[in-house]
Amino acid sequence: MNPISFFLKKQYEIEEKIHRLLKHLQDMVLLHQKAFEAYLEKRWDVFENTQQELGRLEKELDLLGHQIQMSLLRESLMPDSRDDLLKLLTKLDQIPSRLKHLLADIGLEKPVIPEEHDNPIRKLLFHTREAVDALAHAVDSLFSDLRSIRQFVEETARQESEVDRYERELLQLIFNNQELDLGRQYQLKYIVKELGGISNLAEDVADAVLIIASKQSS
Amino acid sequence: MADPGILIFLTSGLFLGWSLGANDAANVFGTAVGSRMVRFTTAALICGIFVILGATISGTGAALTLGKLGAVNALGGSFMAALSAGLTVYWMTRLGLPVSTSQAIIGSIVGWNLFSDSYTDLASLLKILSTWVICPLLAAIIAAIIYILTKIFVRRIGIGLIRLDGYTRLALILAGAFGAYSLGANNIANVMGVFVPVAPFQEMRLSDNFSFSSTQQLFLIGGLAIAIGVFTYSKRVMLTVGSELMRLTPLAAWVAVMAHSIVLFLFASEKLEQFLASLSLPTIPLVPVSSSQAVVGAVIGIGMLQGGREIRWGKVTNIVKGWIITPLVSGMICLLGLYFLQNVFMQTVQRESLYILSSKVMQKLKDEGIDMKHLHGLQNTTYPSSASLIRAIESQKPLPSKLALKAIKYSLLNPVTISSEKLELIDTKVFSTKQMKALKQLNGKKYEHSWQLGSALETINQEWEILGENIEHKLHDRAIKQKLAYIYRHFSVKK
Repeated sequence: MNPISFFLKKQYEIEEKIHRLLKHLQDMVLLHQKAFEAYLEKRWDVFENTQQELGRLEKELDLLGHQIQMSLLRESLMPDSRDDLLKLLTKLDQIPSRLKHLLADIGLEKPVIPEEHDNPIRKLLFHTREAVDALAHAVDSLFSDLRSIRQFVEETARQESEVDRYERELLQLIFNNQELDLGRQYQLKYIVKELGGISNLAEDVADAVLIIASKQSS
Repeated sequence: MADPGILIFLTSGLFLGWSLGANDAANVFGTAVGSRMVRFTTAALICGIFVILGATISGTGAALTLGKLGAVNALGGSFMAALSAGLTVYWMTRLGLPVSTSQAIIGSIVGWNLFSDSYTDLASLLKILSTWVICPLLAAIIAAIIYILTKIFVRRIGIGLIRLDGYTRLALILAGAFGAYSLGANNIANVMGVFVPVAPFQEMRLSDNFSFSSTQQLFLIGGLAIAIGVFTYSKRVMLTVGSELMRLTPLAAWVAVMAHSIVLFLFASEKLEQFLASLSLPTIPLVPVSSSQAVVGAVIGIGMLQGGREIRWGKVTNIVKGWIITPLVSGMICLLGLYFLQNVFMQTVQRESLYILSSKVMQKLKDEGIDMKHLHGLQNTTYPSSASLIRAIESQKPLPSKLALKAIKYSLLNPVTISSEKLELIDTKVFSTKQMKALKQLNGKKYEHSWQLGSALETINQEWEILGENIEHKLHDRAIKQKLAYIYRHFSVKK
């Protein structure tokens, strides 16, 4: 082990935990898409299994997040940007919770989704996954290469706009559908809004990443 | 058995060492601790270790010159000079103000000069005082430049936050360790230099290749005193330098330490001086500068670059007031202390020195460029102090500061006798074979003035020759002068 590696052991450990946390986040959003699509395809067992897998990952992610926060505080790393980072991690932690709760609500309410909504929902899921993926890269860049942050933050914003577009399209479809009563319309609206909210949150976190990076280079 | 008197006198040096650790050490680790990048205990541990290493390994170079306190010629005087400087630095440390031990010592020396009616060279004093303005200004400019360059560099490499934090921490610790080593090496002469000739320790031979000289043992104790000062009392000043002056980012903290070290290097590097001279560029005067002023200047430089809004100007004003008060207070305490030490405790605080303008001295001064036309009336008159000699000369004709120093140097009665007993005791490692041979040729000779021995050696062998004011010869000349100072002390005939 070279002396610098020895000296930066704590830093490397935290970096590794952050990498793992972000990998879990990417896996979770992928599982979320898979579970939702399984629901659309009425493959209930896949939906159940994937939901359980997602719950397990969320627990691991929670634990990792807690460990990272504790390390930052205990090792008094980055004293000038530590508060910003802790806020960022807390905000980031809301995404897996929302992914899990949305699937839990679907599993509980078992809403009937009209077939013509299938495609726009898949698009919404795809762009939500892309937004969270871009966010994960942006956060990762904060700890590996500050220069590439802006491109991932912009990508997150771009995906969020796509999500917005499909969200509006879906809401119009829902409220224009005469076959749906008001209760079902509001049930579906809630699901679409919750799904769209994930990319909104991703965009908020990405903005926070950009602010921390800008503070560093100002 | 060590003389108890010497041990008592030694305590003032140890107290000064403690004050130095409590105050000056804050300059090397203050910004790191203040920015919460390095814990105080870690900083104190590293600082303590490297101060001791610097003092023990590299501090012995000062043994030949006896440091800046060398002008004080009696142990009692040295005791009071060190004590008054130590008390002043302690007082400033209690107020949380970063002052420099060098500033306090300069005040003490001037105090001793006034008490002993010794000549104070105003030109040298002004030169040192001017660096108290130039040093923080230069540090501010260098810090601003490094800060801009570092920011560009960090932006270019785009390194991640955690790793940047790690590298900054490492850089702060390395810069701090280096600074602490330099602090120990450079300042140990201020603390212990005056006690070198009376060091109460025997040489310890640990193996064939490794011995621990009495000077090294003395400096080790001084280093320990500095380290104890760091551990017990430096935290408050560290926080003043590191956070109360202005809130520093870790990167800015590192820039401040680097700018501080560069300024000290610029004012202390003989190699740089020679390099600039070889390129026919103006050289930077080699004068002792205050590390406190350098680090405060550096922090202000970074603050000004950011618009100056973050700087707590009230604290800066207090610090500057401390810089003015320190030498004045130290000088006053020294003056009063010397009076009591001499008249109440009946201690010798100054060695009797006589100055005579004999025909040989008159001739030497003429050779050195002093116009002796109006001074013949002073021939063979003896003066009890250097200041009275200069007053007598200046009553006849004005004398520039440089020539006044020459008049003092050449007229001082300092009889030396080269004896075979003392030749046997001389540390031969200091001299070349030819230099030793020339010295041995003078066995049995006696001189009234020590410079006459230097002239005799120069006549016998050119390896003793002082080549002149040319900057390229400066290092060579300085080495010869240090060797001469050593043999003058060694062969001096004590009354």
